[in-house]
Amino acid sequence: MVRTSAPRSRSLNPRLRRRLVPALLLAPAALLLVLVIGYPLVRAILLTFQNFNMLQPSRTTWVGLQNFVQVFHNPVFWIAMRNTLVWVASAVSLQLVFGFIGALLLNQTFFGRDVVRGVLLIPWATPSVLVALMWMWMLDGNYGIVNELLVRVGILKTFFPFLSSPHTALPTLIMIDVWQGIPFFAVMLLAALQAIPLELEQAARVDGANPAQVLWHVKVPLLLPTILITTILRLIWTANYMDLMFVMTNGGPGYATTTMPFFAYTEAYRRIHFSTGATAAFVQALLLGLVIIVYIRILRRQQVV
Amino acid sequence: MTGASQRSTGLGRTRPRPRFRWRWGRAGLAVAILGWLTFALGPYVWMFLTSLKPKSELYTSPVQVLPHSVTFLGYKLLFTTTPFLRYFLNSAIVSAGTVALATVAAVLAAYALSRFRIPGKTYILIGLLVTQLIPSVLMVMPLFLTLRTIGLLNTWWGLILVDTAFALPFTTYLLTGFMDAVPKQLDEAAMIDGCNEITAFRWVLAPLLVPGIAASSTYVFIYSWNEFVYALTFTSTTVSRTLPVGLRTFIGEYLIRWDLLTAGGVISVIPTILFFMLVQRNLIAGLTAGAVKG
Amino acid sequence: MTPASRFKRVVLMTLGALLLGTVLPLSQAFAQGNKTVVNYWLWLDDSTDPVWPDLVKEFNQTHPNIEVKYQTIPLSQYHDRLLTAIGSGSAPDAARFKDWWLGEFVSNDLLQPLTSYIQQWPGSSDVIQNLWSTGKTSADSPVYMLPAQYITFYLYYRADRLKAAGLEPPKTFAEFVQEAKTLTDPAKKQYGFALRGGAGGQDQWYAFMLALGCHLVDGSGAVVADSQACVDANQKYIDLFRVDKVTPPTAPSDGFAQIIGGFESGITTFAAHHVGSSKSLTEKLGDKLGVTNVPPADPNKPATMMAMSGNVVFGSSKEKQAAFTFISWLDSQGPMDKMSRSANGQLPVLASVASEPYYQNNPFFKLSLEQANYAVAWPPLPGVGYVASQLWQASMQQALLGQITSQQMMTQIATALKQK
Repeated sequence: MVRTSAPRSRSLNPRLRRRLVPALLLAPAALLLVLVIGYPLVRAILLTFQNFNMLQPSRTTWVGLQNFVQVFHNPVFWIAMRNTLVWVASAVSLQLVFGFIGALLLNQTFFGRDVVRGVLLIPWATPSVLVALMWMWMLDGNYGIVNELLVRVGILKTFFPFLSSPHTALPTLIMIDVWQGIPFFAVMLLAALQAIPLELEQAARVDGANPAQVLWHVKVPLLLPTILITTILRLIWTANYMDLMFVMTNGGPGYATTTMPFFAYTEAYRRIHFSTGATAAFVQALLLGLVIIVYIRILRRQQVV
Repeated sequence: MTGASQRSTGLGRTRPRPRFRWRWGRAGLAVAILGWLTFALGPYVWMFLTSLKPKSELYTSPVQVLPHSVTFLGYKLLFTTTPFLRYFLNSAIVSAGTVALATVAAVLAAYALSRFRIPGKTYILIGLLVTQLIPSVLMVMPLFLTLRTIGLLNTWWGLILVDTAFALPFTTYLLTGFMDAVPKQLDEAAMIDGCNEITAFRWVLAPLLVPGIAASSTYVFIYSWNEFVYALTFTSTTVSRTLPVGLRTFIGEYLIRWDLLTAGGVISVIPTILFFMLVQRNLIAGLTAGAVKG
Repeated sequence: MTPASRFKRVVLMTLGALLLGTVLPLSQAFAQGNKTVVNYWLWLDDSTDPVWPDLVKEFNQTHPNIEVKYQTIPLSQYHDRLLTAIGSGSAPDAARFKDWWLGEFVSNDLLQPLTSYIQQWPGSSDVIQNLWSTGKTSADSPVYMLPAQYITFYLYYRADRLKAAGLEPPKTFAEFVQEAKTLTDPAKKQYGFALRGGAGGQDQWYAFMLALGCHLVDGSGAVVADSQACVDANQKYIDLFRVDKVTPPTAPSDGFAQIIGGFESGITTFAAHHVGSSKSLTEKLGDKLGVTNVPPADPNKPATMMAMSGNVVFGSSKEKQAAFTFISWLDSQGPMDKMSRSANGQLPVLASVASEPYYQNNPFFKLSLEQANYAVAWPPLPGVGYVASQLWQASMQQALLGQITSQQMMTQIATALKQK
């Protein structure tokens, strides 16, 4: 309960008020979410148990778990699963680490900090089609500046086709996603850093801690809630992010950059098997659901919920 | 604060300057920042240089770094032959509207989640996350139906509502976390001093939330500014088409208008930078100084 | 800024956005009159090209009781948008269409058969006769797509390079491989042939398959993509990259920009494409540009592929007659000529337009028109959309990289083509 002193309201019965106020506060968000996302979400899930034909919706029937069987028998599904794991794990962990370092850097004072803070945001702020085209051009196997520089410096002997080779295609996309995601983590963690009361840091310093110890023992624990939620959501978003594949590699070479959302998309829109696409996405959602459960457990242990 | 040097930040507040204990302090910082800047901005510099080159200089071997002859034709064509300015305006309105709506809804929700004991709070939190699980390409069709039924296709409001809905979960979580970090005793102290909940929020809580709101509004702005799949499907003409969709129209089946793309690309990142430069001024430590003790 | 004033600002902005967002659509609603409205979708190669918007304006002016409202969608999202619209019951009345999708849409009963409308259309006799088949799904099916613009694949070459090496344009595939080898010098970053292994490369591949004696379907319409002839033809194509090594190392993922950009700037000597790129290439290369047939295995049996983009009317349309009036107007002399002469104009389907000096005197158009006599389009099967947009690329890349054999690739394609 928030208030310890006597109720101040003049109008409503306090108990009613206690129930009503949080409900009213939650209403706008809840309404928006349920109305906008509720129906599509439920529909997408139901579709995994039907054989929905987008082009002839009236001929849809229930098929139980048949879609799951079909999808599990498709070797491309498993390739996509593996690629997604690699994609999500590498991209998010690298973004987190470098983003955190970035937040620490931006927390310092230096000349031109305002401008630098704004400018470093650009990779995150750019529409993905532009990011994809820019990097495609830079990584071009015949005219790319990256190749040119690597050759001039002596790291490469000849131009290397980054996106044509099955071993380097996905790592290249991972690198680009990390490039995009570092500012995101940096901003979120910077805000969290700034919200830490200065007295705590000063008290620790007075007690003789050096900056590294202050960081680890004082700041990081306070940053944990932000780190957790940012990472969890970034995991989910990255798992569903397929713009780079769509523009740069179309899932190739072969299936080297086919991740789950891309596979779901090609099933739904190119093979016109919407239900198998929805099924693949649903399987991924279930796996991500496990991640969410772990997160809620952590929250419970911290007695937040 | 004894011993610490004061420094005005231009907002009427002063704060002590953090000191460095590391030996290579300033130099190391400079190297790190410059390195980061190069990595982050390199592609854009290259894109800008490319946008200045005439077509004949694009495909050369060895790769030419600086343009030998500069042309701004791409920019001129961008503004005179395409509805780029309209796309820009649409994006600006949709993003501004989304930031406004999402921030308001999220602040209210976060206050409820942080300051009240709500039965089923866990389920609400889980529910927020669940909305993010399915990729947008699969949610498009039912959403299209919904918007068509309400009549919000090809309008700013349609996109604002959709973008807000998808941006809300993270924003709410973030702000709830920031609110949780502000001890409830502060609220209570304020109310003992004569505030009710609303003024307690206004005068005590809200100022401490400013870094959180700065971060979350940046996130919402960027999400909405870059959103493509829904913008593509729910808009049909330049009336409401946004920038990412507009940029893609410069890619045809047998033709890629690099000149328009690079020019448009350079211009489309400017608002976000400006937005954040304005907003990040609120990411300043020390706003909670004295709050707990006082 | 105090929280109070910030809050006020937020509220004001929200109200402002609300007001604007409500007023605008209302104002649009008032603009409509009593005309028959036809909703038409199209994609544009060059979105700054005013030809199409001008054509629509012209039609609306000359047909006062019909109003055509058009919507342009980037090609890469075109098919998706159509599917979404159909899936939610809001398909347009008419739309520009690719022959790849014919099988899919017809097998789901989405397109309006146009034969009866065509019979009453005086302009139908002007359409080149053997092009009608591109709009049908079999010899005796009705016409579902009104042909409008098409291309055939030929081979560009660098005339200066061939001349310097004392070579004539290749007449057979074997000659072609030989010449490509002669003109390949990796040290100078020069390669013989711009093989397109990335997205969109299936058309060029199909042209070579046909030239090398492979047919995806036989005379009765049965799928024979996995026949020995096709496996062998495919192997020859793969060998260009793996064995003969006459392609740039980026070939497996090269797309349109890389192929044409590379050819323009001299990385490759031979590149397969069509008349849509002839204008810009001529600007860039002038005399250095030459064009010839896709080199066949047998010089007496030239073959190549053709791709037709036409217009369709949807079965769900409530204004079918008006929609047909519009798309048949697009197939009249004036508009057809304008379309074909525009920046990325393709071949006109009307005999009267095709015989004009502009096309006959242009070497690229001329060659293409000749090829149109024997060029073959993708078979109108439901599985073609999937093969063209996804499967071909994944299989081709795997084959080029040695992950699967030519036999496996052709089997995958055959299986997909046989899908209902």
